[in-house]
Amino acid sequence: MRAVLTAATAALLLAGLTACTGDPVPEPAATPSVAAPAATTAAPASPPACDARTSWRPSRGLEIPATGRLREISDRGRLILGTSQDTLLFASRDPFTGRIEGFDVDMGRQIAKAIFGDENRLEVRVVPRAKRIEAVTSGQVDLVINTMTTNCTRWEQVDFSTVYFEAGQRVLVGKDSAVERIEDLGGRTVCAAEGSTSLGNIGKVAVDPKPVAVGRADFGACLVAFQRGEVEAISTDDTILAGLAAQDPYAKVVGVPFTEEPYAIAIDKKNRDLTEFVNAVLERMRADGTWKAVHDRWLGASGPAPQPPAARYR
Amino acid sequence: MTAVQAPPRAALARLAGLRHTSPGRLQLLLVTVLALAALTGLVTGLAARSAATGTADLGDRAQPLLAEAETVHAALADADTTAAQAFITGGLEPPELTRRYDEKMAAAATALTGAARRTRDDGRAADAIRAISTGLGDYTALIATARALNRQGKPVGAAYLSTASQLNRETLQPQAQALFREARRDAGAGYDSARSTWWLMLLLVLTVALSVVLVWTQIHLSRSTRRTFNVPLLAASALTVLLMLGCAVVFAHQQTRLDSADRDGSGPVETLADKRITVLRERADEALTLAARTGHGELEVEFTKLAGQITFDDAELGDVRSLMDEAKTRHEAYVAAHQRIRALDDGGDYEGAVRLAVSDETTKAFEALTATLDAALNDRRAVFDAEIGAAGRGLGTLTVLGPLLALAICVFATIGLRARLEEYR
Repeated sequence: MRAVLTAATAALLLAGLTACTGDPVPEPAATPSVAAPAATTAAPASPPACDARTSWRPSRGLEIPATGRLREISDRGRLILGTSQDTLLFASRDPFTGRIEGFDVDMGRQIAKAIFGDENRLEVRVVPRAKRIEAVTSGQVDLVINTMTTNCTRWEQVDFSTVYFEAGQRVLVGKDSAVERIEDLGGRTVCAAEGSTSLGNIGKVAVDPKPVAVGRADFGACLVAFQRGEVEAISTDDTILAGLAAQDPYAKVVGVPFTEEPYAIAIDKKNRDLTEFVNAVLERMRADGTWKAVHDRWLGASGPAPQPPAARYR
Repeated sequence: MTAVQAPPRAALARLAGLRHTSPGRLQLLLVTVLALAALTGLVTGLAARSAATGTADLGDRAQPLLAEAETVHAALADADTTAAQAFITGGLEPPELTRRYDEKMAAAATALTGAARRTRDDGRAADAIRAISTGLGDYTALIATARALNRQGKPVGAAYLSTASQLNRETLQPQAQALFREARRDAGAGYDSARSTWWLMLLLVLTVALSVVLVWTQIHLSRSTRRTFNVPLLAASALTVLLMLGCAVVFAHQQTRLDSADRDGSGPVETLADKRITVLRERADEALTLAARTGHGELEVEFTKLAGQITFDDAELGDVRSLMDEAKTRHEAYVAAHQRIRALDDGGDYEGAVRLAVSDETTKAFEALTATLDAALNDRRAVFDAEIGAAGRGLGTLTVLGPLLALAICVFATIGLRARLEEYR
């Protein structure tokens, strides 16, 4: 596992995680080529007007109100987190222990710690990417932390916390492939998980013919399809691709990020108390160095932790 | 045209003319008796042969094919469960689970080879066998890759496992089901051909006709010659009665045995096979729910449905009542363990749920259940084998003795009527 992690973080380093600079303002300080498509790809066709990066301002700090979802969670004795088990570095099943671990899971642990004073009071449930919003709105899970991009379309159905990580979409291809960017994949098959923003982005690439988007249940299934020769490439966030490339020495990640994917935590709209509480936890994590510690633990090989994405409120 | 038609017409006319003279009538009777006796002998032999072949085919091909189809399906379901269990335990898979998986794959491959030997090259069954053989290679390759990746600590192993499981459940098992359905149809057709109903009806008509003609001949002779009895014809009649009795005894015995093979063997075997598949599916649903880690999901809904539908008090399983009562108790024990597993998982203790699911306690509870069903299956298979073995008895003898008796009838009838015919010379 250690070797895989090191390799994965090294891949992240090589990838030059430009989107993860932690710039407080949405305009990335990196290349302008990132900023330009970001405006069009952050949300689908007719984007509802909103600023997806802003969330609810914590009004009570880390206090648990007498009623509401947060009180229910506290009474239940554990926080239920929805995530995946195949996103190496963010949330993947450690084959040795069978536990699901990663950056996203550690975020959940920190929230559990803020509620219970015990980070192990966390129940991890796997939610297929296509069912993440449903899992939140139906109350199956308290929150979803799953490399999930906040955007205005999703804000219509669920609330998001403030941004906790900045990623961008890139492409994974075979080691010998001549492909250098997503535009080179016109008319060829590219895999992404169903229900992810990445899948929609593949069909929006400005090239004719467009790449053929192939949906699979999750990105692990995409890697299986890639290794079995059913698809030619996988395209999603650089973070996820780094985890996939670390598991396949015959794969490489290419191109500059062509979208901006700000990750945030999805919570049911009814539970504003929980969203505010989570934002307060994130606030504290940014301030006291916990965010940096979590970053170092999972993505440390990609270099020193950047500034965490700054919180913005509506 | 007329030239061609002339000879038969002349022959018919001559034949019709025979009716009007006494020797002519006797000649006609003799020819009729000989023809009927020869036909009866032939049909006795053919009917016995057809029934014997059908019965042997049922015992040696149709029924084993059904058992093999059932084995393929059960082994596939079991392998899927085992692979999922090995996965959820985390770390290196326990050797006993590896062994169990290997055993199941070997059982599936062996049964599949057997089934291929017992089916025709064309048709649904052969298609299903081809699809399973191809898929089985793919499936084992995916599982092997998943294991290798798991061994290297690569999480994508889990994705290989779920791809394999999907192949197993969505392609291989439905094909195994199709094979089972075909085998069941084959067994039904096997019973029909073993019963040889049309041959038996033809045989009945012929023997009755032969008896009537023999009796009629003797009445005719006793009237026209004032001799009350014609000894050779009496002997022929006695032999006819003997032939009828022999056929009646052998075929009645065969049909009775076939009926009980169907009622006490095949029927219960199919029902029990269904039940075994159902409980294996329950166990697979449990393991896959835990492997998917999604909590109470579709597969758990399927479990509840299967557990609610399964019955152990079917009327046709009356002969293995005690085993079925035991199976019912064991199934209840297993479902209780399953509910504890679900309670743990739904209550947030996933690791506790996994520990309980693969614990010796739950495994033993489940294996006791399948062992009981296996015992009942073996019991019914033994009944089937015994009944089919018994059903075939006497048919071989009848195949030879039937025509010989008919020949003897011909000889006696000829002797009896020749003597009368000579009187007209």
